[in-house]
Amino acid sequence: MEPLKRLATGIPGLDELLKGGLVVGASYIVQGRPGSGKTILANQLAFNHVAHGGRVLVATLLSESHERLFQYLSTLSFFDPAKIGAQLQFVSAFDTMEQEGLDEVVKLLRGEISRHQASLLIVDGLLNARSRAETPLDTKKFIAELHGHAAFAGCTVLFLTSSRLEDGSPEHTMVDGVIELGDELFGSRSVRRIQLRKTRGSGALSGIHECEITEDGIQVYPRLESLYSHPTGLGTGELTRVPSGVPVFDSMLGGGLPAASVTLAMGPSGIGKTSLGVSFLGAATAAEPGLHFGFYETPHRLRLKAGALGYDFAAMERAGALRIAWQPTTEGVLDDVGMRLLRLVEQHNIKRVLIDSLGAFTRLASNPMRLNEFFRALTGELRARDVSVLATWEMRDIFGSEINAPAPDLSSIVDNLLLMRFVEMESELKRLLSILKVRDSYYDPALLELIISDHGIDLQKAFSQATGVMSGTPSQVPGS
Amino acid sequence: MSTILVVDDEYLIANILGWALEDEGFDVELAGNGQKALDLLKGKRVELVITDYMMPVMDGEALAVSIRAEPLLQALPIILMSGAQAHKGRDNPRLFAAVFDKPFDIDQLIAKVKELVGAPEAP
Repeated sequence: MEPLKRLATGIPGLDELLKGGLVVGASYIVQGRPGSGKTILANQLAFNHVAHGGRVLVATLLSESHERLFQYLSTLSFFDPAKIGAQLQFVSAFDTMEQEGLDEVVKLLRGEISRHQASLLIVDGLLNARSRAETPLDTKKFIAELHGHAAFAGCTVLFLTSSRLEDGSPEHTMVDGVIELGDELFGSRSVRRIQLRKTRGSGALSGIHECEITEDGIQVYPRLESLYSHPTGLGTGELTRVPSGVPVFDSMLGGGLPAASVTLAMGPSGIGKTSLGVSFLGAATAAEPGLHFGFYETPHRLRLKAGALGYDFAAMERAGALRIAWQPTTEGVLDDVGMRLLRLVEQHNIKRVLIDSLGAFTRLASNPMRLNEFFRALTGELRARDVSVLATWEMRDIFGSEINAPAPDLSSIVDNLLLMRFVEMESELKRLLSILKVRDSYYDPALLELIISDHGIDLQKAFSQATGVMSGTPSQVPGS
Repeated sequence: MSTILVVDDEYLIANILGWALEDEGFDVELAGNGQKALDLLKGKRVELVITDYMMPVMDGEALAVSIRAEPLLQALPIILMSGAQAHKGRDNPRLFAAVFDKPFDIDQLIAKVKELVGAPEAP
């Protein structure tokens, strides 16, 4: 089986969606309403292609002048005026189309492709060709003929249109792929989206993916679960143990947390989830470094917090045992943040991660329906890379018997589940920690009192004299 | 009455410039690329050519070279108007009597036209 030759778009994320790039000699429609980023996508692709030795012909069927286009593009980092007129040609076919019709446009562009030896043709304004055509068949013929001439010359074609062509439209039937750009409101934030509606001859990543437009052009963030629908490795699969950072806890777990497992610590604000996480990271070594992937504490505040528990994070960082990756973002793209985590793990050979908190991810999700799939892909990939994860989840209620799981079907995401609660007992507020579940392991089910001091975290078996402790308002066991 | 040939594949620019020149009293001819301009020059007397650089079929530089190669047209002044390629025109003063960067000031261009071919007589 011969793999199809690809023309890399050079647009971050888009080549992953296209499984390597556009198919050489194929034709594509790029559609989206004005302002959706078609022009940026096409020109970014054009400049990238030229930078790698390609030759591009941009033909417009619109009346907008090229100078205006250049002025607008000059604000973007990929724009390089030195390439224009040389490897990158801009011509207008508007007048030809108006005066002489679509057949003459085809003739003109066929000549231009060979004159410039173009390896990429971009035709802007397909909607105009459609309105100029007398019947839908004419547009179809226009696309087919242009594609035919281009394919013969090994030239890939992009047709840009601001109309929202439906899947069954004659235009769609004539091309090999359809890329749709759009945006929609999510709260008061506008989220840009890209979707490959049709991809012939390639296993592209289907569905809707988020993208951003910055001064560097378009950046596509493939849905994490589509990239990692199968983890990239199997992991060692060995049932080894890693220290949790709290020795008493390790002995209750029968030697430590299962290696490459995901532990979720759920509890209300102030219960000590981050402190537990700091202890977890304190057990990192230069051979098996740890990563703090947090959304709340700045690195400085985290070091202070660790110092108060007796850990010298700055020294660990210097020794290469710890990295702190603060995510100050409250806005952003879920998949971007997920990929950032995986990249850090890859780059620094990270073996334990504290995610503080998982809830911060959910706030980035424009579509909460995907969260379960997202977390499953993220944790699956981390397990595949033999990373032990501790994640936190803030529960709304400080007291109370109701315990809400952060996501449905939690067992597919986490291996070990810890519950932390405040308990009022003997006129004192105590912190309770209980183990609800540990993967492939027996554990001591006793309720534990969590004691935070400048020597770190200690756990003591407690509450044996009371019942109903988990509710937060226990009562004495009769007779004790 | 002087006739000016405006050569640009972007009809909007060609038209706007054409109307401005007509308002000044010039006769204006339009062509969408270099080849169409050459065809038109065979049958029509023109006093000045204003051309874009980047065009289909034949670009502005190739047009200027062809005009200079034609014995009857050797003295025909040519103005280049271009964005990215204006420097190519400035490097070639033998081909172009003047070079304007797009977007250009239309009054300055018209002043240059009058300097090269003289103001048209009052209509």
